[in-house]
Amino acid sequence: MASTAAAARTELAVKKKSKNRSPLYQGWKRFKRHRLAVIGLVWVSLFFIAGVIGPWVAPYDYRVGDFLAINQGPSLKHIFGTDNVGHDMFSQILYSVRSALIIALGATLVSFVIGIVLGLWAGLRGGIADVIIMRAVDFMMTLPGFLFALILVILLGRGYWSLILAIGIPGWAGYARLVRSLVLGMRNGEMVEAATALGASQAHIARRYMLPNVVGSMGVALAFGIPGDLVQIAGLSIFGMGLQPPIPSFGNMIAQASDNILGFPWLLYFPAGIFALTLLSFLFVADGLQEAFSPKGGN
Amino acid sequence: MGEPLLSIDNLHVKFARSEDEVYAVNGVSFSINENETLGIVGESGSGKSVTLMSSIGLLKENGTITAGTANFQGRDLLKMHRKQLEDIRGRDIGVIFQDPMTSLNPVMRIGDQIMEAMLTHHYAGRREAYDRTLQLMHEIGIPDPKTRFRSYPHEFSGGMRQRIMIAIALACEPQLLIADEPTTALDVTVQMQILALLQDLRRQRGMSVVMVTHDFGVATNFCDKIIVMYGGRIMEVAETDHFIRETAHPYSIGLKRSIIEIGHKGKEILPIPGATAAITEEPAGCPFAPRCTYASARCLQEVPELRPFGTDHQIACHHAEEVVSLVR
Amino acid sequence: MAVARFIAKRLVQIIITLILVISASYIMMYYSPGGFMNSSIMATALAPLQGQNPVLYHQVMDQFESRYGLNLPLWQQILKYLWHEFSFDFGNSMQNPSLHISAQLKQTLPVSALLAFGSVVLSVVIGVPLGIIAALKRNTWIDYVVSTVSLAGQAIPAFVLAVIMVLLFGVVFQGILPVTGWGSWKEMVLPVICLAAGNVGVVARYMRGSLIETLRQDYIRTAKAKGVKYWPLVFKHGVKNSLTAMITVIGPQFAFTVMGTIWVEQIFAIPGLGQVMQSAFTSFDYPLAITSVFLLGSMIMLMNLLVDIVYALIDPRVKL
Repeated sequence: MASTAAAARTELAVKKKSKNRSPLYQGWKRFKRHRLAVIGLVWVSLFFIAGVIGPWVAPYDYRVGDFLAINQGPSLKHIFGTDNVGHDMFSQILYSVRSALIIALGATLVSFVIGIVLGLWAGLRGGIADVIIMRAVDFMMTLPGFLFALILVILLGRGYWSLILAIGIPGWAGYARLVRSLVLGMRNGEMVEAATALGASQAHIARRYMLPNVVGSMGVALAFGIPGDLVQIAGLSIFGMGLQPPIPSFGNMIAQASDNILGFPWLLYFPAGIFALTLLSFLFVADGLQEAFSPKGGN
Repeated sequence: MGEPLLSIDNLHVKFARSEDEVYAVNGVSFSINENETLGIVGESGSGKSVTLMSSIGLLKENGTITAGTANFQGRDLLKMHRKQLEDIRGRDIGVIFQDPMTSLNPVMRIGDQIMEAMLTHHYAGRREAYDRTLQLMHEIGIPDPKTRFRSYPHEFSGGMRQRIMIAIALACEPQLLIADEPTTALDVTVQMQILALLQDLRRQRGMSVVMVTHDFGVATNFCDKIIVMYGGRIMEVAETDHFIRETAHPYSIGLKRSIIEIGHKGKEILPIPGATAAITEEPAGCPFAPRCTYASARCLQEVPELRPFGTDHQIACHHAEEVVSLVR
Repeated sequence: MAVARFIAKRLVQIIITLILVISASYIMMYYSPGGFMNSSIMATALAPLQGQNPVLYHQVMDQFESRYGLNLPLWQQILKYLWHEFSFDFGNSMQNPSLHISAQLKQTLPVSALLAFGSVVLSVVIGVPLGIIAALKRNTWIDYVVSTVSLAGQAIPAFVLAVIMVLLFGVVFQGILPVTGWGSWKEMVLPVICLAAGNVGVVARYMRGSLIETLRQDYIRTAKAKGVKYWPLVFKHGVKNSLTAMITVIGPQFAFTVMGTIWVEQIFAIPGLGQVMQSAFTSFDYPLAITSVFLLGSMIMLMNLLVDIVYALIDPRVKL
């Protein structure tokens, strides 16, 4: 009896100590310790804001070129310069952010939804469904998603919707595997079992152990997934299979600029620089999230 | 008897954790003579392993020795540089660890792992070391040493691996062997084999052994002298015979009572109430006081020093006399 | 014997995967709205003919279709392609009907393979030592620099690095290294660096994590207890054990690099598989597109097989 009383006391003490700190808040606190991750988060937020308000703040229309001002270097009128048909590069970049975000978020959402559905199915059903789905995951994982995306673009075409599907559909496997492992982990998790044995309520277990685990893992997966999709979108453009010009995109700008890089390097500085910074920021955020939410992150 | 082989004096060790510090060892002193076996007994977290590991420089990264000395053959191990310690470890002091499943390098042939100790210390040349390895393997009971030399750890059972660990520790014929829970991870029958083997090897070599264990049975069977530790302090020290007959510390008594014996069905099992907790504040009072049925106000405020209690017997308890009279 | 059985089993798996991939790709291409004759170049070339001489136009189209078997039922077309690929015949490309695809590949495939292998080797040669240094100097500024640079290398795709390189060596440091073309080792330097950068990051980060984890293992403590000196400890016990884990990332990294190769070839104007593939995909040249998918797929999967075999050779615990 005495020992259970003591155990209850320690349990109580633990509860008291962490009463006002939800696990998510604690994760955020750990995340904040990574300076680069926070800087990354700021840049990513700016990127999102630019994507939303871009059309209203862009000084020029992306379709209209000023033929009197082609291939100009940065100036007060065109702060990032102009390209070979007189497009204002600053406006082009703002619209590119928008197109990149639409496709990347769309594609990630597609992958994510397929992944969750199949992962849940495999994890909860088990049996033959599990075997088949996991075989399919292995199949998708053997070959790069970009290869599947290329083939899908041939079938679907080069518009917004087609690119969202072409990049999104092949990307489900990683999410499915994650969701399945989370489901299995929760079903047979020793931690949950131990908590149940200690008499914690279902709601308490869900809030305390499952939620942070799920939110953390998913957040990390998404933070790695979105920049991956951004790379694929641009990669398709480099390959001549991305968004049809004149819709501006980072890939198109980089591909075009690399053709006449020697004469007009600023056409490259800004798009390539901003694109690289964005990818880097996403990765810093992902890295920070991983350290903040992974169980080994304590050290 | 002369100088003790190893004498540890007033050792203090702290561990840094992300938010606080743990006082793992708080002023431990003891010594071991040549050709002596010493058992250090305590629950996990009592600081028994840490005491020994810190004295030979195998403390985990987040641990620091805050005070104390550890004289080995007249030199203080705690003041030595890494390189000096490397020369002593494996040559003058051998170590066996708890879990033979994880303590051997999985991608190295076992023969090479045994030989490595000798080659590192230039104890023997290549040829000689090879022969000696075969001989050691034979001695510790590995059949067909020549073939098994080339096997990898995963091809052996736990008991066999622990034998290999012993061979590694003994490769350079050390004067002192530290056995850190050497039988804990093994099956009971294998435990006995390993203990018997250790006993034989020790007698042949006249080597001193410090056996760290939580198992009273193992310690009292194997050792000449017993030290009981709790909360990073020594609670009781006695010659094994004295200890068995005249256990006086409430904690030791509790530990003895919590042993389950064969053929005593119906005998009341008396666990010690409560659990060991990491000590995170500057210790004041007896570490066992919160769990002790005899504890008084004094126990919570004043640290009991280790004091003589009869012949060949020391104890750290304010109320040892009363306890003894109550128990007997 | 066990090894032979393992390899045979894996080869069968690889063939099945390739059959699935080729069939699926072909079905998608078959149902795609475009087609070689509708691709921009051919359509413009044929438009006048269609207007002036519809009969001849249809003859041309029919001839084209029967030449490439496009008039056959879908399943027969798929079988035909499967046969082409697995007999390494590959057929003729549509853009260049007189040129046999295998002849085209003889020139381009080695280029891409060299780039991919070269950069993977380079990334291991650089990444492993970086990872070791970062692990040993954990939580010092060296570690932070290595980790951050590795992350950057990993974040920035090869094609962005490639354009930055072109900018640097084509404009700023003109004349040190060529930024286009293919031929001597000098032209290999920049593309290989671009491809390796990401891998160096991955390898270094993985090596760091793996070594830190290994150095916490019980057998490291055993080696210390034996008195093994610091550097032998790190290399013989630490690095050797981390490398076995390291090898597993090389397979996926190779796949990643192969895809990077086809991008980098675009930017450095290197006549490799990437260029062939690009023209095949953008002009709906089915035989060529299917062949490039087949080759990329088999290259990646064979590399994975090789990695597994090496892994089993290094780690005695792994049984094939």
